[in-house]
Amino acid sequence: MPQFLFHFAQAHNDFRLPELESIAELLGISLSWPSEFEYRDTARPFMILGLDQEEHARLLARRCILIKAVYEFYAQGSTYEELHGSNRRNQTLWKRYVENTSFRFLVTSSQHKIPQMRQREVIESFAYMGFLGKIDMKNPEIILTCFEEYDDRHGTTRAKHEGDGQFREVFFGRLLEEGSARQLIAKFDVKKRAYFGNTSMEAEISLLMANQTQASPGKLIYDPFIGTGSMSYPTSHFGAFVIGSDIDGRQMRGKQKTPGVIRAANQYGTAARIIDLATFDITRNPWRCGELFDSIVTDPPYGVRAGAKRLGRKKELPDYKKDLCLQHTLNGRPDDQPYIPPTKPYELSHLAADLVLLARYLLKPNGRLVFFLPTVTDEYEEVDIHTMLCEGMEVIANSLQDFGSWGRRLVTIKKTTQGKYSPPTFEPTREETARIPAHRDFREKYFQGFKPKADET
Amino acid sequence: MVRLITHNLLACHAKDCNTNNFPLAFKDAQLEIREAEFNPEFLKGFLPKIEWTALVDTARQLGDTSLPLEQPEMLDDEFLKNLHHVLLEIHVEEGSMTCPNCGHVYPISNGIPNMLLAEHEIG
Repeated sequence: MPQFLFHFAQAHNDFRLPELESIAELLGISLSWPSEFEYRDTARPFMILGLDQEEHARLLARRCILIKAVYEFYAQGSTYEELHGSNRRNQTLWKRYVENTSFRFLVTSSQHKIPQMRQREVIESFAYMGFLGKIDMKNPEIILTCFEEYDDRHGTTRAKHEGDGQFREVFFGRLLEEGSARQLIAKFDVKKRAYFGNTSMEAEISLLMANQTQASPGKLIYDPFIGTGSMSYPTSHFGAFVIGSDIDGRQMRGKQKTPGVIRAANQYGTAARIIDLATFDITRNPWRCGELFDSIVTDPPYGVRAGAKRLGRKKELPDYKKDLCLQHTLNGRPDDQPYIPPTKPYELSHLAADLVLLARYLLKPNGRLVFFLPTVTDEYEEVDIHTMLCEGMEVIANSLQDFGSWGRRLVTIKKTTQGKYSPPTFEPTREETARIPAHRDFREKYFQGFKPKADET
Repeated sequence: MVRLITHNLLACHAKDCNTNNFPLAFKDAQLEIREAEFNPEFLKGFLPKIEWTALVDTARQLGDTSLPLEQPEMLDDEFLKNLHHVLLEIHVEEGSMTCPNCGHVYPISNGIPNMLLAEHEIG
């Protein structure tokens, strides 16, 4: 299998492999991972992957947000001797460019700046390749790049060029394509959006979420907590149709006649793909049947900036008061404000488990549920994710965005069953497992600064 | 917004309203026609989910008679184009939807339906 050198952005490392896997599956590309663990380490910026053809590497670079560039892989080594040895052995790969191809040669590095003097020395050390074509800095036919990989020394002070040449490994290849999907991060920048709120999801993460849903033309995607619509823009950009709902219509609507979500989608040219928005509580939802959606993507409210709510009352009213309310609703006066039903808090671990059950009902077989779950770093254990699963729903990715004492996990769950299920009841009657997940009562824990309660110490 | 594709998926969900709760009947509907991209694969994939009679009846009430009463076996281009128009290009912007069984009125404003239930309608 031909080998390709992938250069990744050093951001959201935990999301890198799930994104690659999702997009490869979506595009029908088979990937072979490096066999040694050292080369699968996502803390490193480079990875060598096997693909059937060059075109596949290009397709991945056009869709994966975390790919900076892809190269045809020629050589690697922990010293330049090793690199040149490996490059000579792979001569068949680059021989065809020797005769008459204009080229440009780049020597670069990650986390470091190589002095110009040494860049020239490195270029000259490749003289044995004997390229006869013209050197063209502006429009070369091919760009050859040599990368030195340095360990991340972020946050340390050091002299200019300190440690130059003490790289971990050096890689060499021919540039195929720069990752064009990264430009979408600027396009979907929340600050430049026509409509957003304080709970809007940052552009890069919402794009990564869209890739986890495998959004593409002809798919129908549902966001049950759509809020200001952050996930609907990238998913519709990738061609999918989107339906959104929320218990509170104000976030979707904004203050103008045209709903805010539609105004923002207009800016991105995807308003026609936002099929509909509706106000309802997912625990009292009007869906006529199940197996409707290809994916469900959402950022549920977890109580820090906005708390989750469901219909009902925190404290049940006595019957006579209930009756008074009913009479009042039925015999409304014409000058009454529109009726707003009472709501009660929706505890996060119940919401998460309900969301999985709802997704099993509403997703088509092989559909995906993609959502964020906040967790307390010190308390989290992998089993927490499993406390909310149900039969026929399997976790296929779980990526952490670390904020220190807490973090949020982007969980991707696949519906692996073909079975038919009735709609969930949303009753908190399910058995409590022995372990209390780290996302239970997240709001309270957050505002206590993740310290144990005074009476527990 | 409130396109007929969505309308075809929404049923009344008030407490104890389980039969004859679909389709919701439009009232005072203000329509807008907006072009949408034609995707025949999506339409074919979605067809099995559609309640055909409800769709045709609702379209006729809103003044569109392009769909046949019986769902055809052959999906030719003309049929798919009509289906596309009915499902995705007719938007109900204002008005309401009423449950044929319990009479609950779901109001639509600026294209967004309010499907919330009142306190006495939840279990």
